[in-house]
Amino acid sequence: MIEFFLNNKKVKAEEGETIWQVAKKNGVALPHLCYSDKPGYRADGNCRACMVSVEGERVLAASCIRQPTEGMKVSTEDERSEKSRKMVLELLVTDQPDKDDCHDPDSHFWKIADEVKVNKSRFDKRENKDIPISDNSHVAMAVNLDACIQCNLCVRACREVQVNDVIGMGNRGHTSKVIFDFNEDGKKISSPDKKVDSLCPYCGVGCQLTYNIKNEKIISVDGREGPANHNRLCVKGRFGFDYVHNPERITKPLIRKEGVKKDPKERVDPLNPLSHFREASWGEALDLAASKLKDIRDSKNGEKALAGFGCAKGSNEEAYLFQKLVRIGFKNNNVDHCTRMCHASSVAALMEAIGTGAVTAPVSEVKNADVAIVIGARPTQNHPVAATFIKNAVKKNGLKLIIMDPRKQDLSRIAEKSLQFTPGADVALLNAMINTIIEEGLVDRQYIEKNTEGYNELKEHVKDFTPEEMTNICGISTNEIRETARLFANAKSAMIFWGMGISQHIHGTDNSRCLISLALLTGNVGREGTGLHPLRGQNNVQGASDMGLIPMVLPDYLPIANHENVKFFEKYWNCEINPNPGLTVVEIMESIYNQEIKGLYVMGENPAMSDPNANHAREALARLDMLIVQDIFLTETAYLADIVLPASAFPEKTGTFTNTDRRVQLARKAINPPGDAKQDLWIIQELAKRMGLDWNYSGPDEVYDELSGCMESMKNITWERLVNEGAVTYPCDDSSKPGNEVIFGEGFPTDNKKARIVPAKIVSPDETPDSSFPLILTTGRLLEHWHTGSMTSRSKVLSTIEPQPYVNMSRNEMKKNNFAQDETVELSTRRGKVSVKVRLDKMIPDGMVFMPFCFENAPANLLTNQALDPDGKIPELKYCAAKIEKLTA
Amino acid sequence: MLDINKNKKFYPKGRKTEDLALEEINRLIKHLPIQRDLLIEYLHLIQDKFGEIRKKHLAALSELLKIPFAESYEVATFYAHFDVIEDDEPSIQDVTIRVCDSLTCELFGSEKLIKDLSENLDKKKVRVLRAPCMGLCDKAPACEVGHKHVENSDLKKIKEIIANKDLHPTVIKGKSLENYIKDGGYDILKKCYSNKLAVEDVIEELNNSGLKGMGGAGFPSGQKWKFVRMETGPRLMTINGDEGEPGTFKDKLYLEQNIHKFFEGMLIAAWAVDAKEIYIYMRDEYPGIRLNMIEELNKLKNKNIVDSETKIYIRRGAGAYICGEESAMIESIEGKRGLPRHKPPFVSKVGLFGKPTLNHNIETVFWVPDILEKGHEWFSNQGKKGHKGPHSYSVSGRVKNPGVKLAPAGITMNELLNEYCGGMLDGHKFLGYLPGGASGGILPATMANIPLDFGTLEKHGCFIGSGAIIIFSDKDDVKKVALNLLKFFNDESCGQCTPCRVGTEKAVKLMEKNNWDKELLKELVQAMSDASICGLGQAAGNPITCTLNFFKDHV
Repeated sequence: MIEFFLNNKKVKAEEGETIWQVAKKNGVALPHLCYSDKPGYRADGNCRACMVSVEGERVLAASCIRQPTEGMKVSTEDERSEKSRKMVLELLVTDQPDKDDCHDPDSHFWKIADEVKVNKSRFDKRENKDIPISDNSHVAMAVNLDACIQCNLCVRACREVQVNDVIGMGNRGHTSKVIFDFNEDGKKISSPDKKVDSLCPYCGVGCQLTYNIKNEKIISVDGREGPANHNRLCVKGRFGFDYVHNPERITKPLIRKEGVKKDPKERVDPLNPLSHFREASWGEALDLAASKLKDIRDSKNGEKALAGFGCAKGSNEEAYLFQKLVRIGFKNNNVDHCTRMCHASSVAALMEAIGTGAVTAPVSEVKNADVAIVIGARPTQNHPVAATFIKNAVKKNGLKLIIMDPRKQDLSRIAEKSLQFTPGADVALLNAMINTIIEEGLVDRQYIEKNTEGYNELKEHVKDFTPEEMTNICGISTNEIRETARLFANAKSAMIFWGMGISQHIHGTDNSRCLISLALLTGNVGREGTGLHPLRGQNNVQGASDMGLIPMVLPDYLPIANHENVKFFEKYWNCEINPNPGLTVVEIMESIYNQEIKGLYVMGENPAMSDPNANHAREALARLDMLIVQDIFLTETAYLADIVLPASAFPEKTGTFTNTDRRVQLARKAINPPGDAKQDLWIIQELAKRMGLDWNYSGPDEVYDELSGCMESMKNITWERLVNEGAVTYPCDDSSKPGNEVIFGEGFPTDNKKARIVPAKIVSPDETPDSSFPLILTTGRLLEHWHTGSMTSRSKVLSTIEPQPYVNMSRNEMKKNNFAQDETVELSTRRGKVSVKVRLDKMIPDGMVFMPFCFENAPANLLTNQALDPDGKIPELKYCAAKIEKLTA
Repeated sequence: MLDINKNKKFYPKGRKTEDLALEEINRLIKHLPIQRDLLIEYLHLIQDKFGEIRKKHLAALSELLKIPFAESYEVATFYAHFDVIEDDEPSIQDVTIRVCDSLTCELFGSEKLIKDLSENLDKKKVRVLRAPCMGLCDKAPACEVGHKHVENSDLKKIKEIIANKDLHPTVIKGKSLENYIKDGGYDILKKCYSNKLAVEDVIEELNNSGLKGMGGAGFPSGQKWKFVRMETGPRLMTINGDEGEPGTFKDKLYLEQNIHKFFEGMLIAAWAVDAKEIYIYMRDEYPGIRLNMIEELNKLKNKNIVDSETKIYIRRGAGAYICGEESAMIESIEGKRGLPRHKPPFVSKVGLFGKPTLNHNIETVFWVPDILEKGHEWFSNQGKKGHKGPHSYSVSGRVKNPGVKLAPAGITMNELLNEYCGGMLDGHKFLGYLPGGASGGILPATMANIPLDFGTLEKHGCFIGSGAIIIFSDKDDVKKVALNLLKFFNDESCGQCTPCRVGTEKAVKLMEKNNWDKELLKELVQAMSDASICGLGQAAGNPITCTLNFFKDHV
């Protein structure tokens, strides 16, 4: 803290504060153009609109970048600095398009110009030939270069805040020009008549945003200062909002027409569903749905014949009511959701080791870490905003990044180590690292002693997993394995981030066990800058799991196998609960295929696209007596439905959502559902009522009160708190305190407070390449598309950037097969085939191909393998054998 | 129905590098380590090899360096000596002629030369570019054909050079290492290394001699060493060989005459501040000197005279006047655009790669061995009227004998003109002079009796700077003189801050008019000097102010 004089008044400045910031605090508003008063933006002091005079100095100082010193005498009111600020604005105004005819008269620039009372210039404009033409080449953004003031704020946003590194400042002097690595950028700006603070509907990062509404339509989205995003958004969050207004939205309940057969290979045109369905009233549709479900339930073996797929995109309240409906209304526990497809194995390993399935530290903790492993995850594509904080940590805090991925990725460029290991050889590589750490005595003995059990078994187990033995299996040199192990083990603090590349294997649980062991051996849990972080996929997959959309556990992961838990909920809900754990997603599909399960209620999920071996899944769905699909679009699953219930899109409802960091956040309704579409909570409740349940929840707040009343994890987080604070992390010790970000410093939620170290053995992938299917096929998401693409393929910007299915392969593979870029080829596995375009990928190794699973017209999951991990029951979506052939004309 | 063959516009995301380009660049730079700060060196290799820098090569280079394309692109396009072109653009002509259009050369007909060259040479083979000062002001008009400097150039000379394909730089060999050593060279350095001289005594000697920073700032050198030594190590040293102030060619002369004396002074300074790494930033306009420097430095290294721990790197500028500003030079050595940094902190605290840095001009360290050998009085006594030391004035313009004049500090313009330069050219009457290059302002002949030294001209709104004195006569138009200078600043502004980037451009527009809007010009100049980040913008208005103040009859 220092004191200095501002316009002869004594003022105080905190360490690191600039003159501009202190002036603002003291009610002196100084103009600013190149300086953004937002977190993450470095002051650059280049526009010189904020000049002030400092006594004893020859020239003026830029207040945005200059820090005061003790006793300094600063004036903002003297003629010299005032004139200087005005002149800067006058110079800039000169070359702007006239205010009456400019792109945005409400822009920050014109506001500042008004503030310093400059609206015209005495200087001559630059010549026409020197005015840069606007860049309108991109679908999402147009850059009005004629209005550019070279403040380089966009360069800093791109390079330093988002660390995307595609914008730069080319040339020099008055010819300086913002340049884009690819052609990017804008739109005529129109002003909203309503703004609603809410959340992004896409990934688990949980970005807070504001919907800008005009005439009941979302016209744009702005990032908000949320704890997980700090104003940042990615391309999906920023531009992928228009799906809600897509004409393919279902606006009336639909009932399958009499006699229209369910053909698993048939596609229904979402714009013309009346080819297969007829419109119905809500009353009719719900009555029919409920009576059919009841009939099945009450028939012979009926207690096993129903199942429900809840939704990781829905709110906590929806998830809670959905599982309650299945458990009470369907009278069994056959309720699951897509977590089965993403992190089921991670959760299984975490539950087994540390007694909980959630992350131990938020993404933001990476700023305090010395080293971070990112394995089986591509955050720049799938968790783009989280990736920006990882990149910030590398650039600003000296974080050393270890990337482990058979494919190279964007983060490899800034990584300390980038290990492109043999696909499927995770355990070999990780065990060899564990071997090194133990053999070289790099373990944290005290931590192991105090907080873990099973170390000796692990030590014994990994003896054979020497780097020498493993190098040929994992394809990483012994030296590199050892160096990486040392880098990780010697770090003062280290984090581990992982994704589907770890979990979607038949050895997914073993993969996670190794990662957990790495962290436990080195004491990297429960302290600042340490932690285990499975990057959660869907925006509410954490919450949906917490709420009990899982067949073997009740809310808060209370096992059904434990009778105490069943008794507790029987009392809390005043009902009877089936004491047998239910089936998981893939098991349910199998059971449907075998015609044991006859009725299925699907809310928001799209198993016909997302399940492995989708042909088989579609075949199964077609065999159902009653398939109820509640969704906003006619999905591939809905093609096979008996009843389709038009639901609400994310911006059309209020509810709480839990992000990957365990932050419970509030989303608010911004617009009304279209036509007769209804909010999901209403639909679940109406169906429940018709199945004989006496439910009368007035809204999400009442549901939230009930769920937080029975869940230890939600303690001290009330609805009112969420309304006021927007986000609270669980667990939270006190209703007046923020939640705990880094947890398990004082032991784990297990019986003896110790974590259990579980050794992992090597299991080969289920289907390895052979002479008939010589390639490894791996699947995943794209930056621009969400999951099965039902939302993003209906967003203009996103579908324009990535319009069509493709398969990535190396140049060598292309050469070997004589494929040209963009050539349409046939990609097949033992389960199916699709036509896709070839795309050269320099990041993928030879012998492997990658295909995104978001394209309806070439569903990658027709090809994938449904073999399951024995513990997590997750299918091996990341690895199967495939071949590619020229398309025969 | 969705159809995968439906022709939708494909958006290229990011830039895909071509394998061939990657191979070419890999081969080209493989003798160098992969370091971000060597970016400009790599760009030179590409430009030299291909005569241009295609985007595919830039993309390949970016990939090898693991930096974003945007970053290498912005660096490459910042410097005048790099020609970044599209992959499908036709190649740039085989021969590039850079004609100096800075003030002295303009006085001696560079405009006509440009016209002659443009009209009479084959445009398919030769391109003619304007360029700023290349240090041949005493032989104006000057130009560079390829890398060959041409003095007193005209169409005929240039045609011959092109015909003979004589495009390589002329290397002037000054005093050899052997002769330098024979005459006692490097003895002082050896004394330093062997502790026969104490650092404190050396600094004391320098302080007493009155040696100041000859790059233009005039900061006492002994003091500077003291300040840098106060910072925690490791410390670095940089040598500013970017002598770009129009009209300055003294460093060039000293490097051509006796490069080892410069090396010795530099090494003594590095020893004094315990800097183990020295970066010499040489302007690209002196290619012959740079080649000679590389050769002589290798010879020196082989003699085992230099302390084995000390590393000396020569870095090549790429055509940017702003890189003569010390913090911009440091940015450039780091392989970035030459944008001056905000001060504080000063480079003595936070300099190259964030380390405390001793930065010196070439001439400054050139004097160090002599001062230590002959004593501080030998140096300080060379001044007159209370000024200390000799001063190297680069004199050009309408005088009989232009050139570098080593004269007593404190000499007046009149004395310098008549005693050292043989007076005005026949037929020319002394009208005015620039005491310190483009930035130092303009004074009339009536004010030619002011001592020329650091600190004597400031009260008139001028300064001596690097001692670049350009004399013009009654045959010249002072408004055109001032306009030439402002055009120079407009070309050379880095573009970082508004007052300089837009201010120089608007000033040129105002000055191109017959009637100057004097009030608006004054207001503009005030804001430029108050609010610009660095000395370029702050001083760019000096010619305008001086013209308005001292040449009232001419505007």
